[in-house]
Amino acid sequence: MIQYVNEYDTPECNTLAETAKKSIRTPASLGLDRCIQCGACTASCPAARFTDYSPRQIVKKVLENDRSVLESEMIWSCFYCYSCNLRCPRNNSPVTIVQVLRQIAVNNGIGVEKLVYFLEIGEYLAENGASKVPGAGIKNMERDLGERWIRIKKNLESTRVELGLSSRDVRNTHGEVQAILEATGYFEREKWVKAKIQEKGSHQLLKNKCIKNENKSGDFGFESDREYPGQPAFTI
Amino acid sequence: MKAIESIPDSQLLLFKSCMVGQEYPGVETSTRYVFDRIGVDYCINDEQSCCTGIGHYTDIFEGLTTIAIAARNFAVARRCGYPNITCLCSTCYAINKEACEVLNTNTEVRERINAIFREQGLENLVYEKDDMNPRTNFYHAVEILLSKVNEIKKQKKFDFSGTKAAAHHACHYYKVKYLDVLGNPENPQLIDTIAAVCGADPVRWYEDRTLTCGMGFSQLHLNKDTSLQVTKTKLDSLQKAGVELMIHMCPNCHIQYDRYQPVIEEEFDVKYDMVHMNIAQFVALSMGADPYKVCGFQTHSVPLEEFLEIHGII
Repeated sequence: MIQYVNEYDTPECNTLAETAKKSIRTPASLGLDRCIQCGACTASCPAARFTDYSPRQIVKKVLENDRSVLESEMIWSCFYCYSCNLRCPRNNSPVTIVQVLRQIAVNNGIGVEKLVYFLEIGEYLAENGASKVPGAGIKNMERDLGERWIRIKKNLESTRVELGLSSRDVRNTHGEVQAILEATGYFEREKWVKAKIQEKGSHQLLKNKCIKNENKSGDFGFESDREYPGQPAFTI
Repeated sequence: MKAIESIPDSQLLLFKSCMVGQEYPGVETSTRYVFDRIGVDYCINDEQSCCTGIGHYTDIFEGLTTIAIAARNFAVARRCGYPNITCLCSTCYAINKEACEVLNTNTEVRERINAIFREQGLENLVYEKDDMNPRTNFYHAVEILLSKVNEIKKQKKFDFSGTKAAAHHACHYYKVKYLDVLGNPENPQLIDTIAAVCGADPVRWYEDRTLTCGMGFSQLHLNKDTSLQVTKTKLDSLQKAGVELMIHMCPNCHIQYDRYQPVIEEEFDVKYDMVHMNIAQFVALSMGADPYKVCGFQTHSVPLEEFLEIHGII
């Protein structure tokens, strides 16, 4: 399979741990090798509280260079809240390691369908200099938030004027953002991701995911904390 | 830890937030209302773009693009003579601060981005090492408010005595660059201290105080059930603590709590008594700002009318 090369987020290295350490997504001082598997990350993690997600297990897999972690749905459950980043006593940062794992997965065509939903953010940013909730998200919000929110959004321009702001949040980027996105290879990657998605025929897949809101965590053959056999007891 | 004495009150670029602009524009106008009255020298520059945060944390932007966009915004800030980037959104704050750190410490990335700027004829965006300082050029608006509590106190018109308020400090303010927070990142008290100056009675600690709002970037859209469960956990805890007002500092958390509280009430068959606002809206209100022409409460999902009536504002 042809891989996408993303040399700064996922530098080519012999092991997952080396890639994670070199990536610009993780702090330069990343304490990955200092991980003592204490589980402070998992104890602080909102996703771990409600699903089988476990940052401690993910870090363990990375240290063991177990690439099956890339196939795991688990890496797509992180909230990017950085609680583990704050709490780790060894200056490790599972949240940023997971960001690297998602990027490696995408480069290998794994989980690309998770990005469909958000792809238009880049195009909108290039054109307008600002970001917005993508169209599919707006549809979900209209359904969930109902009439009141739809009315708020319809009145947004007049509300902004009433507040003394311009009717729209204008950004004058003089085409510079567009030029930057082209030159960094953003659009090239976006094109690659779109082609991969098409290849996988995942449009249908996405539809099912967004509408059913299935909880996908927890059934991926990770050893659970309960099943972890531990170390043999030290007896004198 | 940041020292309160080191917080600047001049040359602040008030960094526009996409989510504030599109969902709660009153947060921007309230911040300006307060800044104008407490002696803060700031400017807003339309040339500034989005920080890419939403795209970065939904995994569609690679680090290089995010940092290049940040470098462009730094050039905008320096060029207009307002290099102290002051954010309304905690994700803009974290993204900009981290990008600055990489630009200063990673020569390869800096040179690659500068080469891109030169290739594109954008020489005026070139970033030289240490053009900006990640510790002294980046702030969140709430830090500026905290540094000016004495001014706020002097100009207070409404007293919110007896208002039981709880703070939700935004994760990307105190958990990303946790060594650079005003106070203890295990128990941030910025919002509580400001609210207390306005007369409110802050609930300084409640169960799950440091739990994330639950938005989780892609999570609200891809794993909505878990996302709302997380949000509900904190709302339950606040209800137990008898909180009537929840105060925010980030539009993403604000959306998650204010927009989705009615959704959670319906989906989980529960009822909550609290209303939501940003700390700048609360301060503006206490300084006499109009709830609709300045604070923009008409864009909120949880109606504030009852709260405003009880406190004699409308």
